[in-house]
Amino acid sequence: MSDPFQGKKPEQPGLTPGCQRCEEQAKVGVYICRCGGNISDVVDVERVAEAARQMPGVATAKVHTFMCSDPGQQLITEDILAVGVNRVVVASCTPFLHESTFRGAVARGGMNSYLYEHANLREQCSWAHRHDPAGATEKAIRLVSAAVGKARCDAALDQIRLPNHRIALVAGGGIAGMKAAGDLAACGLRVVLVESTGALGGQLLGRGAVYPTETDAEHIVAGLRKEAEGNPHIEVLLNSRVRSVSGFVGNFQVTIEGRFGPGGQSATTSLTAGALIIATGFHPYVPAEGEFLYATHPGVVTMPDFLQMLQSAPGGTRMLEVQGRPIRSMAFLHCVGSRQIDGVHTPGPDGRLNTYCSRVCCTTALQQEIAVRRRFPETAVFDLYQDIRTYARGTEDYYRTASEAGVVFFRYRGEEPPVVEAGEGKGTRRTPLAVRVKDTLTWGEELRLPVDLVVLATGMVPNAIPELVDSIKLPTGEDRFLQEVHPKLRPVEVSVNGVLLAGTAQAPMDIRETLSAAGAAAVKAAAMFAHEDVELNPYVAEVDLSLCEGSGQCVTQCEYDGALQMVDVIVGDRSVRRAQVNPGLCVGCGACVAVCPQRAIQVNGWRLDQYEAMIDGIVAEVAVGAH
Amino acid sequence: MLRLAADSGRVDVLVVGGGIAGLQAALDLADQGLKVLICEQQASIGGHMIELSKVFPTLDCASCITTPKMSAAAHHPNIEILTSTVVDGIEPLHAGHRVRVTRRPTYVNNDKCIGCRLCEYACDTECVDPFDASLGATRAIAVPFTNAIPQKAVLNPDACGTCGTCARVCPTGAIEFDQQPETLEIEAGAVVLASGFALNAMTVKPQYNAARSRNIISALTMERLLAPHGPYGRVLRPSDGKIPGSIAFVQCAGSRDASIGVPYCSRVCCMYAIKQAMLLSGALPIADITIYFMDIRAFGKGYESFYQNAKAMGINFVRGKVARIVPAEDGDLLLHVERTEEGIGAIEPVRHDLVVLAQGMIPEWHAEACTPVHPGPDGFVAASSLTSPTATSVPGIFVAGAAAGPKDIVDTIAEAGAAAMQVTRWLRQEQQRPVEALV
Ligand SMILES: Cc1cc2nc3c(=O)[nH]c(=O)nc-3n(C[C@H](O)[C@H](O)[C@H](O)COP(=O)(O)OP(=O)(O)OC[C@H]3O[C@@H](n4cnc5c(N)ncnc54)[C@H](O)[C@@H]3O)c2cc1C
Ligand SMILES: Cc1cc2nc3c(=O)[nH]c(=O)nc-3n(C[C@H](O)[C@H](O)[C@H](O)COP(=O)(O)OP(=O)(O)OC[C@H]3O[C@@H](n4cnc5c(N)ncnc54)[C@H](O)[C@@H]3O)c2cc1C
Repeated sequence: MSDPFQGKKPEQPGLTPGCQRCEEQAKVGVYICRCGGNISDVVDVERVAEAARQMPGVATAKVHTFMCSDPGQQLITEDILAVGVNRVVVASCTPFLHESTFRGAVARGGMNSYLYEHANLREQCSWAHRHDPAGATEKAIRLVSAAVGKARCDAALDQIRLPNHRIALVAGGGIAGMKAAGDLAACGLRVVLVESTGALGGQLLGRGAVYPTETDAEHIVAGLRKEAEGNPHIEVLLNSRVRSVSGFVGNFQVTIEGRFGPGGQSATTSLTAGALIIATGFHPYVPAEGEFLYATHPGVVTMPDFLQMLQSAPGGTRMLEVQGRPIRSMAFLHCVGSRQIDGVHTPGPDGRLNTYCSRVCCTTALQQEIAVRRRFPETAVFDLYQDIRTYARGTEDYYRTASEAGVVFFRYRGEEPPVVEAGEGKGTRRTPLAVRVKDTLTWGEELRLPVDLVVLATGMVPNAIPELVDSIKLPTGEDRFLQEVHPKLRPVEVSVNGVLLAGTAQAPMDIRETLSAAGAAAVKAAAMFAHEDVELNPYVAEVDLSLCEGSGQCVTQCEYDGALQMVDVIVGDRSVRRAQVNPGLCVGCGACVAVCPQRAIQVNGWRLDQYEAMIDGIVAEVAVGAH
Repeated sequence: MLRLAADSGRVDVLVVGGGIAGLQAALDLADQGLKVLICEQQASIGGHMIELSKVFPTLDCASCITTPKMSAAAHHPNIEILTSTVVDGIEPLHAGHRVRVTRRPTYVNNDKCIGCRLCEYACDTECVDPFDASLGATRAIAVPFTNAIPQKAVLNPDACGTCGTCARVCPTGAIEFDQQPETLEIEAGAVVLASGFALNAMTVKPQYNAARSRNIISALTMERLLAPHGPYGRVLRPSDGKIPGSIAFVQCAGSRDASIGVPYCSRVCCMYAIKQAMLLSGALPIADITIYFMDIRAFGKGYESFYQNAKAMGINFVRGKVARIVPAEDGDLLLHVERTEEGIGAIEPVRHDLVVLAQGMIPEWHAEACTPVHPGPDGFVAASSLTSPTATSVPGIFVAGAAAGPKDIVDTIAEAGAAAMQVTRWLRQEQQRPVEALV
């Protein structure tokens, strides 16, 4: 193998000259995970272990099939006690998944959990270099070497504890917001519920009977509203919006603007909340003008429009009448504003397509089709779909019932959506509209369905909440819905601590799913509020007052409001200006470190000497080859 | 004997089932300071999720997502776990519930076993490994699987020849050949049913002839074949070890079919078939993969693009209900299917060398047999109302996950959190109930 170490070789690999902490007797334990083959099928983990054993300061290096499993973690705790390991390096998957798992193991072994480093051999080695096992192995060894170097310089750190304001702010008063508020209030916690419109209830207001129980939506909303409005623990602010949020978990400063001034005047108020629950919901997709003739032909309506029409349609006839017009036949068109395909559909004003499925439109369409057929048996109903997604409990029945009720189904391919066009024909046989569809149920035959009415089963689009997204730096996905940290590990949390997601602001959901999601968010807040203090990770900047000369450059550089400021401190017998960090607001980005002329500010856990040790580790002469 | 019940004689919450639903509910309750007991009938917690290879839609390895939750529950000071323990009765009391559980003999004393596996290494009686879909082998005494929790050996009485080797090598004297089932009664303030799902039999549709060919496999078997640490370490077809070149997924092979008593949709099969197809096309790049479906139900967050990616990868999606599967002599299978999209009738059968059936999801445990809760028309535990999806017909008994109907992991986890919230509310309300009301 060619010598990959052409750069300069430090005399003592992995040891930063002059670093006090590295001189100390660090005994590093290195634990390498096979990840059941995910890593070991590509990376030669035994060779990584062999190389690690030769790295300075390493007391032991072991391989396990699943380091994250209990026996894997036990290797660590045992070695801490038996071998006297006092620094731990785990080389496995991304720290995003398991950093906290291994910190826990280290703590159970009686060590400070920050004397731990992580090397990523899966995402960064075996997965990234699947076709180059030798290269992946070498990279793995170098990453381990870097982690070992850093671990040797690790100092014990303590979590930052800050007081927890046990008040939850819930933004959005749909069923998700009301449910989360009610749950928290029932736990004795105080909640401020902020709703931008004049009433609680969100999109369910005026919806009529809802699937799958055919309960009146008003009944559902009323139950939740009663709990929220009559509750001494909940303050409901209608016609209000959150304007801005600053601060951090346990201590968010929230500014709310609303018409709660005297006589309904607009006013602003602010409060401190420990947790924020975002339940700002969705709005139905509004088709572009001309999309399936929407807004250009009066016979083309959206599903929400049709729900109102049907509720107010006069009874007593065997044929549906809309605005005095008899509807002899009508078509429901699925997936309008959902499951859009690049090249087939036109992107919205923001240039994006709604490629996702909106989850509720299939069942809603079938429910309405059944209602039409039952109330107006002489109105023919056509259903044009791609896939009928009646997945939810109790909803497959709607599909069966719709067929039994005489609804006629046509299945189109997403790439060839139906075309709505002006109708033709003469006299009484003339219909204002026609739908052309290539029906795959009848072997792709192109059919032309004459109809009096077209209902577009419009999907869900998240409500725009720029104030919240910008001031909290809320992550949103490709689909514009708010983005959770991990759909399985942390499904209602976002990357900002203390901010939780509830309901359709996160993804399309039906009522049950929305209420479950709201409960899941509430229980996380309840668990957070079970503690007097909030604990934050200690990776924040710290000023060494013996070095700081008060240049203030760090403060100028800092992008996080309030994280760094200049304060007066007494040094000797005189007052001088020095930088001070607010650990609750500092995110540990290190921008300040880069500009300090005195190297007086450092990020704990990521000090400059640790970076040097990592770089030394990477370029060190490690035993790569199988000599 | 219960650590958590030592002071008060009762636990706050008893969770039936240590699958992902039970674990998540337990964690969310315990994080609020409540004392939670998980009873799991298997020898390890983890439920179905720990058997899976990778999970849609993120394609994370299933172990990597399940083990941290298993481990977090196992190490939580407010959680206690009893494995090999079946819940077989719940009786509501004035305050709380009396839960009857049976501890199945494992012939190993868990307090003594240190998980060293010396017994497993010494045992020379091999038997099929149920964890690996009965395709791999294990020993008559063994720790259930690599990442099982707890790491305690379990003796399989059907396989054991009682030679006594394990007892001789065990350094702690943990082997107890004379263990008997033991019944315990535990008082709990509230109960969460997280008893999950089972799959209906491969033979529910006789026209698929699953009993006549080993190459018609369950989707769970395919999960094991695809797992990086699975029985063969790669995908081979069971009858002859051939590398399959043409694999068919038959969807709705036990769901959406009133004639077999499962008229509902099992909700996860479309997505796991797509997932398995994608993993297969990685493992067997030249294989032909076809999914026969009625409707592709990719409804969750990120699911539609997962489906579209699979299409772009060249996986064949054929709309059509498979009418019949006929085993051929060479182990291949002939599928009779009407392919409406292409206008091809069912006359000409299609040949595949491995077929995966998407069986229907049915309840694992019929709670109504020994508890007062009501099932829904689909047999799963019924919710008390649309607005209380995790409450059952009995106050103080809650339900989460697949026990309340088929559900994927994301929806299961959300529902488990919601159930934990409902339990918390209920316990607080009970606490505030005037004392007279309790007597
Ligand atoms: C046509 C249609 C029919 C449906 N039918 C059914 C059915 O039959 N069965 C079923 O189960 N589901 C049905 N659904 C789904 C159901 O509507 C949703 O599950 C439910 O409304 C979601 O509730 P939510 O609280 O998440 O959101 P929303 O109902 O959208 O509520 C969000 C609330 O937040 C408020 N808000 C927004 N931004 C802000 C802000 N910045 N500050 C303060 N407040 C804000 C909004 O005004 C609103 O009140 C249907 C959906 C549609 C589109
Ligand atoms: C082939 C296949 C592939 C899948 N792939 C995916 C995927 O990729 N992504 C995804 O999101 N979902 C997937 N799923 C779905 C996933 O498995 C379920 O969502 C999940 O397992 C449900 O978890 P649960 O805890 O509710 O139930 P389970 O996993 O069934 O757990 C229930 C537990 O309760 C125990 N139990 C039952 N009754 C009793 C009793 N009386 N006493 C004590 N214990 C009891 C059981 O032993 C079991 O451990 C897949 C499902 C299948 C069948």
